[in-house]
Amino acid sequence: MLKMNHLSKVYRTEVVETYALRDFNIDVKEGEFVAVTGPSGSGKTTFLTIAGLLETFSGGEYHLDGIEVSQLNDNARSKIRNEKIGFIFQAFNLIPDLNVYDNIEVPLRYRGMKGAERKQRIMDSLERVGLSSRAKHYPAELSGGQQQRVAIARALAGSPRLLLADEPTGNLDTQMARGVLELIEDIHRDGATIVMVTHDPELAARAQRNVHIIDGQVVDLSEEPRFHAHAGEAAQGQTL
Amino acid sequence: MQIKPILTALRHHKAGTVLIAVQIALTLAIVCNALFIIHQRVTQLSQPSGLDEAHLIRIQNQWVGKADDKAYGSLMATDLATLRKLPGVADAYATNSVPLSGGGWSMSLRLKADQSAPSAQTAIYFSDDHTLSTLGLKLVAGRNFRADDIRPMSAKEDLLHPAVIIVTRALADKLFPTSRAVGQTVYLANHLSTIIGVVERMQTPWVGMSWGSAASTLVPFRLLTGGTNYVIRTQPGQPDRVRRSAPDALFAQNRMRVIPDQHGVETFRQIRADAYASDRGMAILMGVICVVLLAITAAGIVGLTSFWVGQRRKQIGVRRALGATRGDILSYFLTENLLIGMGGVLLGIALAIGLNLWMVTRFEMQHLSLWYVLAGAVALLLLGQGAVLAPALRASRVSPVEATRSV
Repeated sequence: MLKMNHLSKVYRTEVVETYALRDFNIDVKEGEFVAVTGPSGSGKTTFLTIAGLLETFSGGEYHLDGIEVSQLNDNARSKIRNEKIGFIFQAFNLIPDLNVYDNIEVPLRYRGMKGAERKQRIMDSLERVGLSSRAKHYPAELSGGQQQRVAIARALAGSPRLLLADEPTGNLDTQMARGVLELIEDIHRDGATIVMVTHDPELAARAQRNVHIIDGQVVDLSEEPRFHAHAGEAAQGQTL
Repeated sequence: MQIKPILTALRHHKAGTVLIAVQIALTLAIVCNALFIIHQRVTQLSQPSGLDEAHLIRIQNQWVGKADDKAYGSLMATDLATLRKLPGVADAYATNSVPLSGGGWSMSLRLKADQSAPSAQTAIYFSDDHTLSTLGLKLVAGRNFRADDIRPMSAKEDLLHPAVIIVTRALADKLFPTSRAVGQTVYLANHLSTIIGVVERMQTPWVGMSWGSAASTLVPFRLLTGGTNYVIRTQPGQPDRVRRSAPDALFAQNRMRVIPDQHGVETFRQIRADAYASDRGMAILMGVICVVLLAITAAGIVGLTSFWVGQRRKQIGVRRALGATRGDILSYFLTENLLIGMGGVLLGIALAIGLNLWMVTRFEMQHLSLWYVLAGAVALLLLGQGAVLAPALRASRVSPVEATRSV
């Protein structure tokens, strides 16, 4: 589903080149639930933005659902984001000027979906996240957990093959986090591939597989014992 | 189209939206009316006088000291003879006033003696048998004055009874819309005069008179006073020469006269320029106001949209992440501006018509043509789209990765 070979991402200024990802290799199979962990600044979010076609990369290859994406133009990338990928962000990223219903409708409108189908999908996804009664509410009128559930409903409504979650519970308390995670697991059970970036070892432990990133590279923890001391969270995640 | 969500979102930005819509409305109201006024002034400016303007010179002559009517008559005859003999002069005559000069006589005309309201108002030009050829007026019906039609008139007398008159076609059509004017009689003051000729056109001395700019009557009088206007028609290519030689010839003939330094000797071009100076000034001022207003409105739209783009960077990134193409973002801002613009334009149309109606009752302005309002509305919508384009393009270049950045 998601395959990166020797991928690199370099940020260049006039004086310095910074590698955010270097010789990065990952292969996520269709239907997998992978947690990506690593210390701050390791390149987790860069990986996620490249995986979600939010950003381009500097070298290497990236195949998404069998398509080599480096040659795609901006419109084609937009189309893939819209049709194949669902995003869940740490900061929810709902549009504050639109109510819950209209927020969920945004990606469906960009897909050019007819009104009746949009409505059906929006109501279904709202029901699934348990917020059917809040369709007319604005994001500011909802709790953090509810907002994240709306964001999940927005991702769900598009029936994405790949769900990318960036610290989805980072801004939530434990109880709300649990609810959100259950929803993500639910979506996984329905067949979607899930890649979740997280700091939280408990969350990472719920994934089928953990991938640890350090200094822009995927690290096989079993072969690199010297990192154990620094990457205790990930090690714990792997043993569970 | 995404009109509904855009309208929903605009409800959360009421202040900016209303401000721009009101600005558009006021601009439309003022610009429509200003352009209408400009159009009227320009139309006025470009009205033909009916005269051979390129070759005409007017000399204002004032005799020094007092003389009797007979002496004035003889001085005038000598002056005219001198002028007509001058090299480069085609013809000359003496009159009380010329078109566009700003000063002259007007009278009312009646078709019946006992009629309470006049049939028409007219400018009165004292003329002789040389008037038509001097001014280059085109006779379209009847005949010119003959030498024996011309009578002297003292300034002390009321307007004598002119047995015959020549009128402009505009006046003839007004008095006799369905029949030939030549041969008809009209009451000028309380005296009956017969129309013997109709000239194609001759403007009145005044611009912007409510009773029309071309209702003129030529009366066959030579006005005997201390002050008179000599009108000279030069031969082609001679106006500059005659402008210098004519006053010299008059002074050589008789020094007891004053020809003022200012406006004493003028070409018709100068008379026309002076007559329309205020109209031209007004048109230019209105034009400047229009340009300034449009520029302020455009700047307001650029400013507000730029502010909104900056404010919504993250939101734009989120939309891009959710699948919006650059074109979708561009069209979002263009549509948003179009919706605000349409609101402003609807209000502006009402304001433009209201402002015009107020001016119609207050300043006797004409009714604004709806085409002006419609053209103005379309122009303002296009101006809005033009103004919003740069910030909208900037918005469309916001990267989807903005969605992942914390503000």
